[in-house]
Amino acid sequence: MPTDTAAIEIVDLARRFGRTDAVDGLSLRVEPGRCYGFFGRNGAGKTTTIKCLLNLLRPTRGTVRIFGLDPARDEVAAKSKLAYVPDMVAFYPWMTVRQTLAYCASFREKWNHDTERSLLDRFRLDPTQKTSHLSKGQRTQVALITAICPEPELLVLDEPTSGLDPIVRREFIETVIGAYQDADPGRRTVFVSTHLISEFEGLIDTFTIIDAGREVLTLDADVARERYQKVYARFAGDAPAIDLPGERVRRSGRDLEVVVRDNAARVVDRLRALSPDTLSTEALSLEEIYVTALSPAPAGAAA
Amino acid sequence: MRLQVTFKSGKPVYLQLVDQVKAAAASGQVRPGDPLPGIRPLAEELRVNRNTVAKAYAELESQGVVTTEAGRGCFIANGTAPYRKDVRLKLLTEEIDQAVVQAHHLRVGRTELLRLVSERHDLFEARRDRSSNG
Repeated sequence: MPTDTAAIEIVDLARRFGRTDAVDGLSLRVEPGRCYGFFGRNGAGKTTTIKCLLNLLRPTRGTVRIFGLDPARDEVAAKSKLAYVPDMVAFYPWMTVRQTLAYCASFREKWNHDTERSLLDRFRLDPTQKTSHLSKGQRTQVALITAICPEPELLVLDEPTSGLDPIVRREFIETVIGAYQDADPGRRTVFVSTHLISEFEGLIDTFTIIDAGREVLTLDADVARERYQKVYARFAGDAPAIDLPGERVRRSGRDLEVVVRDNAARVVDRLRALSPDTLSTEALSLEEIYVTALSPAPAGAAA
Repeated sequence: MRLQVTFKSGKPVYLQLVDQVKAAAASGQVRPGDPLPGIRPLAEELRVNRNTVAKAYAELESQGVVTTEAGRGCFIANGTAPYRKDVRLKLLTEEIDQAVVQAHHLRVGRTELLRLVSERHDLFEARRDRSSNG
């Protein structure tokens, strides 16, 4: 169906550490110009996957391609198309912010100096300051500047906003939307691994949830919110017992709540037949979908 | 015009923006020639993907609600519909069917439904008049 070369294509990727399969048969495809969320618990294999993309780790099995390039064989060509912001940012401590930016720019074909200036202003960073004197938030901001100024076609973010204060987090996301996506948005792809799903909710087009190195769920965000719904009903008397195999049902006094993974209309019809006083539905947020997808199968009581 | 999005409705975000702009135009909150917010500032403000806003604006343009002027942005169109009348009526019929189905389930009869439609129609008309006088 898609004719463009994928920004990222992972096929049957596995990476073993000793006896542990950190990633175990993962496949996914990120189309150019999309913002792709990569969600999973700590230890689910997210960072291992990202390290395979960046050729920081060799896959045990499977293939990884960035715009059709093998990051191990065509390392320079692959890396010139992407930029990476990790969770823990490290710079040479003796360099100033300005020296750090010039150093990073020296490895790049392109460097947008206007973007650099406007982001330094926006983040209120002092270019003469030593990077060793920066706070964690400021180091992440410098890392984001070094990632955006080369105008890469792919921006890889690994837990970029964890441990940052809310203002810095907000600015970070606005910068990804604004400064990064603004020019030529069809060729600005974001691949973001994060636990702060609600903060990135509006940005995510498509996401994959992984667990124990395997894919659990891949969906477009709009489709996911249409499918995963919470149905509330309130009855005149005690909520009736209702048999809905596979759905999470919670009864509490007059209230009944059902979390539906698909086809909410069917559940709504069943509940309507029981003549509740009120009946309403609400989409689950991506974070709630994540929690639902990773919770064990329902057994009466819901989370 | 205040645009906002919610992730709780289960309705695609771009469609929420489309419907809000259409409602604002129908109630006279925005008038022909008024500009829509720029894609980048609106995306940043709502913290949604820039492509989502671009998709909403493209949809509004294809429905003839807005026009795009290269380099200047999007503007509310001056009411020239893009489809033939029979197509427009057919599109509206689908929406009315939904309301008729809802009315049936909510035990709202024909007379009440028609009165309500008429009332709402007057309300939007009055709002439009007020904003063009004020």
